[in-house]
Amino acid sequence: MRRKSRRALTNLAGVLAIGVFAFPVYWMFATAFKPTVDILSYTPKWLPVPFTLQHFSTAIHRPHFGDYVRNSLVVTLSAVLLSLLFALLAAFAVGRFNFRGRKAYLLAVMIVQMAPFEALLIPFFLVLRGVNLLNQLPALILIYFIFTMPFTIWALRGFVISIPPELEEAAMVDGASRFQAFMRVVFPLLAPGLVATSVFAFVTAWNEFLYAFVFMTDEARYTLPVWLSSFRTAFGTDWGGTMAASTLFTIPVLIFFLIVQRRLVSGLTAGAVKG
Amino acid sequence: MSTDDDLLTGGAPVPAAAGPTAVATAAEADSSKRTAGPGRRARVLPYLLIAPSIAAFALLLGYPLYLNVRISFQKLDLAELVQRLTVFRGLANYRAIFSDSFFWSVTLRTVLFTAACVGLTMVLGTLIALLLDRLGKTMRLLLSVSLVLAWAMPALTATVVWQWLFDTQFGVVNWLLTRLGGDFTNHSWFATGLSTFAIIVAIVVWQAIPFVAFTLYAGLTAIPRELYDAIRVDGAGAWRTFRSLIVPVLRPLFMITAFLSIIWDFKLFTQIWLVRQGGPNRQTITLGIYAYQEGIASGHFGKAAAISMVMVLLLLTALVYYIRTMLRTQEDV
Repeated sequence: MRRKSRRALTNLAGVLAIGVFAFPVYWMFATAFKPTVDILSYTPKWLPVPFTLQHFSTAIHRPHFGDYVRNSLVVTLSAVLLSLLFALLAAFAVGRFNFRGRKAYLLAVMIVQMAPFEALLIPFFLVLRGVNLLNQLPALILIYFIFTMPFTIWALRGFVISIPPELEEAAMVDGASRFQAFMRVVFPLLAPGLVATSVFAFVTAWNEFLYAFVFMTDEARYTLPVWLSSFRTAFGTDWGGTMAASTLFTIPVLIFFLIVQRRLVSGLTAGAVKG
Repeated sequence: MSTDDDLLTGGAPVPAAAGPTAVATAAEADSSKRTAGPGRRARVLPYLLIAPSIAAFALLLGYPLYLNVRISFQKLDLAELVQRLTVFRGLANYRAIFSDSFFWSVTLRTVLFTAACVGLTMVLGTLIALLLDRLGKTMRLLLSVSLVLAWAMPALTATVVWQWLFDTQFGVVNWLLTRLGGDFTNHSWFATGLSTFAIIVAIVVWQAIPFVAFTLYAGLTAIPRELYDAIRVDGAGAWRTFRSLIVPVLRPLFMITAFLSIIWDFKLFTQIWLVRQGGPNRQTITLGIYAYQEGIASGHFGKAAAISMVMVLLLLTALVYYIRTMLRTQEDV
């Protein structure tokens, strides 16, 4: 009897927790698809019935929407590619070689990983202003590159370690150079790890608001987060439009996050279990 | 291998963001199998490989940091900036902010805000982890999915959605509270500083719980069932089981997650800014917002740099403490 009531209590807590965490996300989707009359209703309409795409159309047809999507993609993808390239080299070095200063390097990366980048707003602003890069997409590319690199190094290092060095050694015994061994043996095995890590870096850069907001003052240079933040003031209380824009912005992140979640977990744990 | 590594490899969903610190220490242990290449080239190669990243760090982080220190000792307002003047004035910026009572109230507020966020995140995160451990399979899956959704939301959209939930006229929260017996019709949550802060804390905690809960849950699944049985045979109740079995095992994970939360919440900008730009009446300004407003918005770059330095130094203190503890637990192995 007591056990049964305890079970019920646990389940009740579970239902409550599910509601608290899932409802805001659901409410964003639901509001985005509801006609304005149903949104501006004093008793909430729980389901988006009737259903409309009106708000999405409003969001997409605001001026420069195409530019914002393009800006966000250009900035994010370039930053991620740069970050991957630099981090791959470093991860290979710390994952495969025992060299003097390796520990110090790793410690430094760890510190940088946790550094408050937000505190460097002023010097970044002044430097970029000095070299005429304010309001230019390359400024954001460089900033997001350096923000995502520490994590990328850490994560890739884990993936490199999970690949047994014997595989390369075997290739090198067979006459391959170290570079060839890396390209033909390690790189293909590293692919899932590269995907997971880059997706994670992508999400970080895609979501970044502060630097984009401060440095991209020209409307045509906005990234999607800046666009989204300007949405509410421009539209007053158009919650339908705001939720539609939020939905559009969030969906790629949600999809990517679900991919990363599984891949990164398997990769990182594989690296850790091996010892 | 240190204990936290074993916990993290327990097979449960290790959260992605736990990677940089938590999992890295695990990887440390088995990196001894590196190939020792012969010859001089093999000795130079690793340095060549890390050189680009070091150069990037130096140029894009080291230099700005150096510049920030320098500017914090300069009088640098819009006038000096336009005329490209360098006017050093020693500690004047620091003296100015330290003698300003508003700066102290902002600092105190930032610390309290961080404490509230981290405290709530840790307590609720632990409860959710325990809940995950006790729920049946289906419920656990549903809760996990909900947690991942909340976690994955960009901070920006989470903030916008919560503002909509707490909307004065049509917000679901006001409707619900009115239904539950209060009179919250047209209640504005953003009229006072404290109430605005409460909403911001709620947003932050809502998004921070999943990471903490998943990490702790991974630790919980690594505790063998026999230990629970043994302690129960000893006559321990739920609370003693928690105190003398769960807490000691999870301690390293508590450390890691609490520390990361401190770092994330202390420097928070996006959520606070989006809710009311530091308002109402400058009552939700934290150090990050203050530095932005003094520097970028008002053009007092020297003063803003000094405020940023205070932020960096406060966080650095926490960081040094954390890394020392981390290194010590590793040596224990």
